[in-house]
Amino acid sequence: MTAANNYIPFPTKIEKVIRHTKTEYTFRMHFDHAEERVRPGQFFEISMPKYGEAPISVSGISADTIDFTIRKVGVVTNEVFERYEGQELLIRGPYGNGFVFDDYDGSELIVVAGGTGVSPVRGVIDHYAHHPEKVESLSAVVGFKSPDDILFRDDLAYWKDRIDLRMTLDSAKGQPGYREGFVTAVVPELTPKDLANTKAIVVGPPPMMRFTVAGLLKLGLPEENIWLSQERKMCCGLGKCGHCKIGNVYVCLDGPVFPYLKSKTMVD
Amino acid sequence: MDINTKELKKNAFRVTKVRGVTSSRVRVPGGLLKAEYLGKIQKIAERYGNGTVNLTSRQGFEIPGIPFEKMPEVNRELQTIIDGTGINQTGRARGEGYPAAGTRNVSACVGNRVCPYACYDTTALAQKIDKVIFPDDLHVKIVLTGCPNDCQKVRMGDIGIMGMTEPRLDPERCVSCGACIRACRSKSVDALEKVHFRPERDSYKCIGCGECVNACPNLAWTRSPEKYFRITLLGRTGKKNPRMGVDFIKWADEDSVIRIIRNTYEYVRHYINPDSPGGKEHIGYIVDRTGTEEYLRWALKDVHLPDIAEVYTPLNWGGIEYAHNKYFGNQRYHADGTIVTDFSEKTR
Amino acid sequence: MGYVASREQFGKLFSYWKKEYDIWAPKRFPGGGRFSDTDAVRYAVVQEPDEIEFEVKSAYSWKETVLPPSETLFYFAQNHVEEAMPPLRKRLVFLRSCDLEAVRRMDQIYMKNGDPDYYYARKRDNLAFVMIGCPASCENGFCVSMGTNAADQYDMSIDAADGEFRLDSRRDDWSAVLAAAGAAELDVKPCRVSENKVQVRVPENLTFEVGKSSMWDQYDSRCINCGRCNFVCPTCTCFSMQDMYYDAGGKVGERRRVQASCMVDGYTDVAGGASYRKKNGERMRFKTLHKVLDFKERFGYQMCVGCGRCDDICPEYISFSNIINHLEEGMKEVQDHDSSK
Repeated sequence: MTAANNYIPFPTKIEKVIRHTKTEYTFRMHFDHAEERVRPGQFFEISMPKYGEAPISVSGISADTIDFTIRKVGVVTNEVFERYEGQELLIRGPYGNGFVFDDYDGSELIVVAGGTGVSPVRGVIDHYAHHPEKVESLSAVVGFKSPDDILFRDDLAYWKDRIDLRMTLDSAKGQPGYREGFVTAVVPELTPKDLANTKAIVVGPPPMMRFTVAGLLKLGLPEENIWLSQERKMCCGLGKCGHCKIGNVYVCLDGPVFPYLKSKTMVD
Repeated sequence: MDINTKELKKNAFRVTKVRGVTSSRVRVPGGLLKAEYLGKIQKIAERYGNGTVNLTSRQGFEIPGIPFEKMPEVNRELQTIIDGTGINQTGRARGEGYPAAGTRNVSACVGNRVCPYACYDTTALAQKIDKVIFPDDLHVKIVLTGCPNDCQKVRMGDIGIMGMTEPRLDPERCVSCGACIRACRSKSVDALEKVHFRPERDSYKCIGCGECVNACPNLAWTRSPEKYFRITLLGRTGKKNPRMGVDFIKWADEDSVIRIIRNTYEYVRHYINPDSPGGKEHIGYIVDRTGTEEYLRWALKDVHLPDIAEVYTPLNWGGIEYAHNKYFGNQRYHADGTIVTDFSEKTR
Repeated sequence: MGYVASREQFGKLFSYWKKEYDIWAPKRFPGGGRFSDTDAVRYAVVQEPDEIEFEVKSAYSWKETVLPPSETLFYFAQNHVEEAMPPLRKRLVFLRSCDLEAVRRMDQIYMKNGDPDYYYARKRDNLAFVMIGCPASCENGFCVSMGTNAADQYDMSIDAADGEFRLDSRRDDWSAVLAAAGAAELDVKPCRVSENKVQVRVPENLTFEVGKSSMWDQYDSRCINCGRCNFVCPTCTCFSMQDMYYDAGGKVGERRRVQASCMVDGYTDVAGGASYRKKNGERMRFKTLHKVLDFKERFGYQMCVGCGRCDDICPEYISFSNIINHLEEGMKEVQDHDSSK
């Protein structure tokens, strides 16, 4: 008896399309028992026959749905954007390790995310925003390029009232609720009480992650309390195609979420 | 001193500017010979000549400074070289030197025995053609080059033979690295296009250079078992109308090449002006006289081209005509900027 | 069971195999080489024993029998997908010790790094291996240094010499066919290479720190990132996905995977335009450390089997064994630099 064919995608129904910006939509897909089967930070391959596949991280999980927040940047994602509610998408997954809540429960949690890097941590922030009792505190620093790039406006509004949410825009003055600049400028202002119990998740473009981690270390966070999510080219998601290998690590199998201690040893 | 210069020239010696002194012309088809014959040439040069050797423009040797009276001895010494270079000596006894010198040495680039770009063994074909055309007195220049880089400058000869390969793609070996497409675009004629991740060849554009095959890391592109040739016609240097040879046939095969060469010799024999100086008339000027159509009628007689072959028509040559002052520009200047003369009137 | 078989007796076994197997072996393709009037030796299905190239090492490795340059995964028609059929017949592979050791590396990635790969697994179950003995070392191989000169996990070994074959059969039915054909029993040990001209030493203290060494810089200009070294490698496993369609409307087509090379442009490109390892020296370092460092860190043994094909084929005469042998110097350079800070 051979195992199932792990390259053949399965169809899922598009329950809802949420348009954040012109080039960033969230596709809410039907997925049975999603909460038991999927973790934030994991990813799926979205499969568009004729166009190919693209690894997309899970940006939200409910009882029977998963969200993909997708940026229109290539042939596959262009095509996904042509789809609408009621249609189906072919997907396969979930892949990767994702964020494990046990690692963060009870801590003073800091989440720093930039741009589409907000997608993989949205599930984490949302989880603790709904269950604030599970953490000591939650500070989320979320940055976007411009007002046109803001993702998850509804979520941000909901989170604003329940957690310490700080938002930045790279280059835009006078946007209510946002300050101008990078997320890295906000990091030094964070005031964790018990550094040993402060944990941080950082997701975004490589330079942003580098500077954010430097800022967190300067605050005094222990290296072992920081996690990152890495983006790499992935053709299979199964540890075979090799494109995502960094050092002795396969991002698709061992990541995309890595403890900083591991991540800092990984040389592309 | 009484010497028959016609006979001397036919015996591959030269009338030089020094009275009583000649030079010996050593024919080397394809420009390749065993190194041992260099020693032989050295010996002749040192014993009978002035101790120097000239590398000729058509890949032979010329041993200058030989007194006329030494010609019989030189001819005897030349015999091992004549044998070693595979020269057909019909018409002359052994030990009496070369039987002709009129028809030019078949020159060739280094070819596929050495060069990775070459599409065939230029040396072997040069030697084969030499067997077909030599000995003969007709002043015909045949030039062979291994690939469309044309290092041997075939378009300066009467009959130019440029190697080609028809690239074959095994799509199942293609890994879409794009190397062939980049190579064709940057080094050749941009005949490849990526279609569904794999190269598609425009056979109309393709010049059969084989850059795609050389570039392919996975042997998805390979060379056709058949060797193909581009034949160019009637390029020439000289005092009247130097010009580049033009394309005659693309994707010709070896049999056709040889047949066309034979036919060309027959055509020249038939039409040559017997009164031309020294009995030599350059084939290009004969064709100018008979018309290209007549030449092609002769050249293509009993030629069975492969299906893939493309014959160019019409054939048009340009070039420089000294007598009519047809230059790329109509005006000439002295170094100080003054105009020499304005030829625009005369050219019109 | 050992046998010495004549050509004819071996032919009987070959015919027996053919009932059940497609026989993949190094085969000579006259005129099939890259350059004019050169031959290629690469893997292909052979129909006769005489088609097997016993003398010359195949330029491309055994891996094409299970990981072809291009492999269709499934066909699609709109949203319907249809899995590509598996090969209809089992495969018997003629290969040398280095390649037989490479099978283990390929299995490591395709069967054990995460879940088994569906397409590899369904072929892997149907492979049999006949090991060609090596009476002498090839020019660039360094199997002895890599410990891959003595592979033993074969179904049969074969040494061709003087018009006869010495065979060590481990399959009862094959032995029976040989015995029935009249092949004489003989104590047979396959020919092994015990010494190579090329020797390498992977330094014990090797770490990724060697990436900071200047040893890689020369390859920025020397290497032309053509990927030949990867495509010929019996242990390179990487691939990329491609979707292509047959009709103008794009409703019917196939998804395939094709071998990929970490030396070739585009290998690390992510959507949106970012890419890692732009310099060829960085790619060389990545490839080298995969072959002799990180695979071992992950799985406990070296990936490189020392077959020397990468050296054989490099058009720029870059020698991989030479790179390995410079790692020690590279480590020393980095450590000296660090300690002088």
